[in-house]
Amino acid sequence: MKTTLLSSAAALVLTTALVTPALAQQCPIRIGGLAPLSAPGSVTGGEAMRDAMRIATDEINANGGVLGCQVELVVVDTEGLPERGRAVMERLITQDNVVAVGGGYHSSVGLAAKDVAEAAGIPVVFAETWNDRITADMDRFIFRLAPLSSEVAAIYANFAATVPGVQNVVIVAENTDYGLPASDMTRQGLEAAGITSTIYTVDIGTQDFSGIIQRIRADRPDMIIQVMTGEAAYNFTQQAAEAGIGPGDLPMTCDQNALESAAYWQNVPDGNLCFMNAVGLPTALFTDRTRAFVEAYTAATGKDAAESYAMEAYDSIMILAQAINEAGSTDGEAIVAALEAISYDGVLGTISFPINAGNTPEQAGVDPKWWHQFPDPAITVVQYQAVGQSSTDAPVVFPPAYVTGEPIWPHQ
Amino acid sequence: MEHSLFFWSVMGWMVVWGAVGGALIRHAYFMRDLDVIEARRVGVAVGAATGPFGLIPLYFKTPKLTRAWKIAPWFGVLGLFVLAFALSDPDNVCVSSGSFLTSQIANGLIMGTIYGLMALGLALIFSIIGIVSFSHGEFYMIGGMVVYYVTAVLLPGWNPLLAVLLACALTFCVGALFERAFLTPIYDGRVERPTEYAILVTFGLAFFLQYLVQGLGGANPVKADAFIELPRWRFPEDGSLIATSRANITLFDTIFVSTPRLMAAVVSVLALAGLIWFLFRTWWGKALRAVAQDRQAAAVTGIDPRVMNMLAFGLGCMLAGLAGAVLVQAFSWLPQTGTIPALRSFVIIVLGGLGSLPGAFIGGILMGLIEAAGAGCIPDPTRAASYLPAYGMVVLTLVLLLKPTGLFGRKA
Repeated sequence: MKTTLLSSAAALVLTTALVTPALAQQCPIRIGGLAPLSAPGSVTGGEAMRDAMRIATDEINANGGVLGCQVELVVVDTEGLPERGRAVMERLITQDNVVAVGGGYHSSVGLAAKDVAEAAGIPVVFAETWNDRITADMDRFIFRLAPLSSEVAAIYANFAATVPGVQNVVIVAENTDYGLPASDMTRQGLEAAGITSTIYTVDIGTQDFSGIIQRIRADRPDMIIQVMTGEAAYNFTQQAAEAGIGPGDLPMTCDQNALESAAYWQNVPDGNLCFMNAVGLPTALFTDRTRAFVEAYTAATGKDAAESYAMEAYDSIMILAQAINEAGSTDGEAIVAALEAISYDGVLGTISFPINAGNTPEQAGVDPKWWHQFPDPAITVVQYQAVGQSSTDAPVVFPPAYVTGEPIWPHQ
Repeated sequence: MEHSLFFWSVMGWMVVWGAVGGALIRHAYFMRDLDVIEARRVGVAVGAATGPFGLIPLYFKTPKLTRAWKIAPWFGVLGLFVLAFALSDPDNVCVSSGSFLTSQIANGLIMGTIYGLMALGLALIFSIIGIVSFSHGEFYMIGGMVVYYVTAVLLPGWNPLLAVLLACALTFCVGALFERAFLTPIYDGRVERPTEYAILVTFGLAFFLQYLVQGLGGANPVKADAFIELPRWRFPEDGSLIATSRANITLFDTIFVSTPRLMAAVVSVLALAGLIWFLFRTWWGKALRAVAQDRQAAAVTGIDPRVMNMLAFGLGCMLAGLAGAVLVQAFSWLPQTGTIPALRSFVIIVLGGLGSLPGAFIGGILMGLIEAAGAGCIPDPTRAASYLPAYGMVVLTLVLLLKPTGLFGRKA
């Protein structure tokens, strides 16, 4: 009898120890995902991110979930609007009871939503919000995989300096928390390279660019740099091409959503030779992890390639799952501690956040913008060189470390 | 702006003397027991354009205020404004480049024609049924979507003009059916607050249509191919008179016009001519106008106002659908595409005068010109296109201050 009781007690203790992680929090564990799924947000980007986050969730659940629980992804539509971003973040936290949030595309949305998450103590790993202030505010619960706007601006400026004969650049930017600082930083970079520039700003949902295009044409620019998201960028590129100042007439950088090859060619049939910046490893340097994701993504979406923001969105969910597992809890503070110590092998490369509470920007002697920031997202410039080309096949033309092909200069 | 102090001094002069003129001339006409309303408006215009030099003789002579008196001083105001702008900012591209100015005017006229067509539909509905349809933008969106899906997805190779006709038929039918199903309660007292009911029910339709299209076709931007692709042609050989490329026509080496827009404007003008013929030469059109003038009197003559309501709503929706159908080849199209054009249409019909059909069309052309002037001539490029929707609002405010019924509106 005594032996039976002892055996039962031991079994109970053992069982309790085994199931404790699962009982410590409610199953399933909910993770939020921010994505613009309606205009004026960048819908092409948002849908790609949503699909990538779903793939990440399926993968996590297929591998046993997190802390013994299945993960449930709750994707919300930010519409690219800051007020909407704030509202959906509140909904995710108070109604959906998410333990962490990934995704995020528009900087203005990120800036508005991050304060809500910070106040509630919910960790956020932003995937595609570039504004420097997202990390420069040094919020305890906010992390970012996407590159800093200032770093991308530097790439643009350095690239422009390599374009033959460029003296006068026009920058067309959306008047948002992404476009305004990014265009200003690009202007500063160009100025440092001895190139003059004029910034034209437009509303995020602008459809008709005819007036501003005639004005740009009158400026006789040698190059046009776009700092715009959403379908506005498609409209601008096509209308500029119709007016004779498109990518086929002079060097032009298009927005990142030009990487959506099918949508780009449908909306911008005259968009050949456009340059685009891409975040993440170039195709030639894909790791096994990257290739596996691209395979799963293309199979799920029917696309012929995976865009930068899809990779970032996937990684934002996967890294949160790893952090929750390593934290052994869904407590916000514990997840943050795990994220600060994390080394995650993702599709973007090995991700870590070296500037953190244990190594502050002051101690490291770096700008506060590097706080909780993945320091090494590869940023490249690729160019469509044939009508209908897939962005995966478009050669990398800058920076020299990643170059896979020579640029075609339309003005030469 | 090089001499901004001069410019703002002239604006100050115009405002002060306009206000003085309005009060002074009204007083003079009032003392002589003449029409004071027109006197006030003429006083404002003469004061703003000429200051004391025109006001003093007008005050003492109080001539009969003919049509010339009511119109000519406003051209003086416009002339003084343009002169002050030209002298203050001689390097502005609007001042220094005649070709740029001509191009902007051409673009303004083209876009204005299409704005006018869309606003005409809204004005038609208001003039017959007396409600403002908040779903007008969605019919514009549906017109474009129908053309895209017919020409690019369902029946590629179909003549796009047949798709335009199909879009017109569909938007007419949906509008007419909606009117029968949901708007009849406002005619026979079945709802307590008919105006509010009409607002809510058309708002509901707008959301329904927007999300229906998003649910069926997704939220990614789409675009139809240009209806006409021009061959590369120059006349004479240097193209100094006319030069064409696939999507652009250049006239006199000066005016650059995008062919998809030109095509859209031509169709709009033809539709306008057709509408005028319908309204003035057919029994149905005459009946519609009769109902617009006096509902009861029209009913006495045997016209069924209910049928006219349905016809008016269907026609109004069809005009919006037609505007969208011809513009989907020029712009990327989304389920939310109709929002901004609808807002613009509201501004236009108030500017032109609620219920006035000529006012709606002329208001549309004015709006096109105002937007083109704002985008092209505002000196600060970071603001010129950003504030595009505001330019029309500024003019609308000024017009309503002086003529609360709008440019062509009449008192009820």
